[in-house]
Amino acid sequence: MEFGPILRSLLRNKTGALLIALQIMVTLTVIVNAIYIIQERSQHMTKPSGLDEANITHILSIGYGESFNAEATTDNDLRVLRGMTGVADATVINAIPVSSSGSSNGYMVEPGRLELAVMAAQYRSDDHAISTMGLELIAGENFSPNEIVRHEPGTARTDTSVIVTRAMAEALYPDDAAETTIGRIFYAADDTALQIKGIVERLQVPWPSADFAENSVIYPEIELDGGNYYLVRHEPGYRDENLPRVEETLAAQNDTRVLRENQTFEQTRTITFIPDNAMTSILSIVVSILMFITGLGIVGLAVFTINRRRRQIGTRRALGAGHIQILRYFLVENFVISTVGVIFGAIMTVALNMFLVNNFDLAPLQWYFVPAGMAVLLVLGQLAVVGPAWRASRMSPATATRNI
Amino acid sequence: MLQMTNIGKTFLTGQVQTKALDQINLEVDEGEFVTITGPSGCGKTTFLNIAGLLENATAGQYLLDGEDVSRLGDRQRAKLRNQKIGFIFQSFNLMPDLNLFDNVDVPLRYRGLGRGERHQRIEEALTNVGLWSRRKHLPAQLSGGQQQRVAIARALAGSPRFLLADEPTGNLDSKTAAGVMSLLHEINAKGTTIIMVTHDPVLAQNSRRNIDILDGQIRDDARRNTAAVA
Ligand SMILES: Nc1ncnc2c1ncn2[C@@H]1O[C@H](COP(=O)(O)OP(=O)(O)O)[C@@H](O)[C@H]1O
Ligand SMILES: [Mg+2]
Repeated sequence: MEFGPILRSLLRNKTGALLIALQIMVTLTVIVNAIYIIQERSQHMTKPSGLDEANITHILSIGYGESFNAEATTDNDLRVLRGMTGVADATVINAIPVSSSGSSNGYMVEPGRLELAVMAAQYRSDDHAISTMGLELIAGENFSPNEIVRHEPGTARTDTSVIVTRAMAEALYPDDAAETTIGRIFYAADDTALQIKGIVERLQVPWPSADFAENSVIYPEIELDGGNYYLVRHEPGYRDENLPRVEETLAAQNDTRVLRENQTFEQTRTITFIPDNAMTSILSIVVSILMFITGLGIVGLAVFTINRRRRQIGTRRALGAGHIQILRYFLVENFVISTVGVIFGAIMTVALNMFLVNNFDLAPLQWYFVPAGMAVLLVLGQLAVVGPAWRASRMSPATATRNI
Repeated sequence: MLQMTNIGKTFLTGQVQTKALDQINLEVDEGEFVTITGPSGCGKTTFLNIAGLLENATAGQYLLDGEDVSRLGDRQRAKLRNQKIGFIFQSFNLMPDLNLFDNVDVPLRYRGLGRGERHQRIEEALTNVGLWSRRKHLPAQLSGGQQQRVAIARALAGSPRFLLADEPTGNLDSKTAAGVMSLLHEINAKGTTIIMVTHDPVLAQNSRRNIDILDGQIRDDARRNTAAVA
């Protein structure tokens, strides 16, 4: 190997090489962080909600006018929905998981210790919640029908039992297995006492990128504020056919309300992730363009230096270099340049990530992203240079003696 | 040691055929110092390229040390160039970004010699041309004559049996040229066979054997008994 001479030769002739190293540094910095963000986004997008997503639809009912009776409407709507053919179960709820709108609260194991609060989404629903969403009850029991409270807006809430997710139980009682926390009492920010009656394996909050993505508390409560989300789980195969029928059926019951958002859970997901999908696409394009430009830059520098060194290459061939040695010369040279680029790039990558972590809602990069990115750019460099280097290695040794 | 029979070389550029060499018959013995003369474009460089295995002849047979090298593959030709042949070019052809030490090192690395042996050969070769003390300098920091001496050191470091020089003094003033010439004669006196293209009639006249080429053919192959050291 002629590593030493290649390095010394580069050091005496650094402008072009430095520019390429700089380009590789910037590319590494941007693409590793971009791919990390893409990866993080797609994790949010593919995270399971805990719901039987394929069979679920929801619709929003908003009552208006003097004659609207929230309680009677709710009871009637639920009865009608549950009676529809192809409907497995239906429930009323204050917010839809993964929809990006809902309400959250702080909870603590000792009353008033707000600094210890665990954030969680609050879902208010009835004893059909678990069955309708298709949640998996891993400990304790479901609500019984007579536990369900009708809550008038503006009135104080009372102590109650609740169903929490495994993640919530573990967040409240980090030292204990979730299943052992049945019967324990914790507190909401307004100091109402909440006793754990059941635990479900998973139920996502409405905000997929929240850092408490699976901390959910289900209250046995129907809010009589006029606005109801109805969640409907259809028998397999009935969803699409039932979707318009849900709206028609509810519309026929009552003309003192409007119906909105009649959509499948899949549509809800799509709408929620429009910005993430857009960001992912833009970042993917940026990554591709940067890789392409860097590849072109490397090819350009290689072609330029090879043309400038035709005489030298011919001389090397005359002095005994075979094709392989010439090819290797340029591969090694590119490797040296790229190595400088990726080393500084690695430092810049971590620096940019720290900046993003400090200024935006982003978790720190996993360490292996950095070496993986370095490897990718080193390979890109070799691939970009192999064409020009190959042509250089095919140059006739007679080039040494001719004035071309 | 070198034997050419009916060597011809035709270049094909598009539709145009250029016959650069035609029917070259020649034998050069070990230890000879042969000069080649002829007008510009007559085929001197082409002859040297074929003799030095930089280019293939398109006709004829070429024996080097009794081995037919006319049809060897690129790798074997590269190996033969590296081991048997030293080259000296009119414009020196040093690597501008390498210091003198690394320049002389180039062919030795291609030969795959160990570090210690390379160092010893480089020191010997550069000392021989009086430039060991400047081994850390870049070619651009030297005069033309000194650069050509580095090129000679590079050619000699591999101890080739056969030195090919294409107008080695063509870019030098006459005083410097004389220095380079006496160095070449010294090398020849130690046994290295030298073939040198020159356009300098004085050098040609003083040479023990001069081959004059015209239009790709040998016009005159003159041997003299006395050789004057220039
Ligand atoms: N690579 C080439 N392609 C086409 N023609 C060439 C090539 N090299 C040399 N020639 C032609 O061959 C002839 C001999 O060239 P050359 O050996 O360089 O002459 P000299 O060294 O005596 O000046 C010239 O006519 C030249 O134009
Ligand atoms: Mg010539």
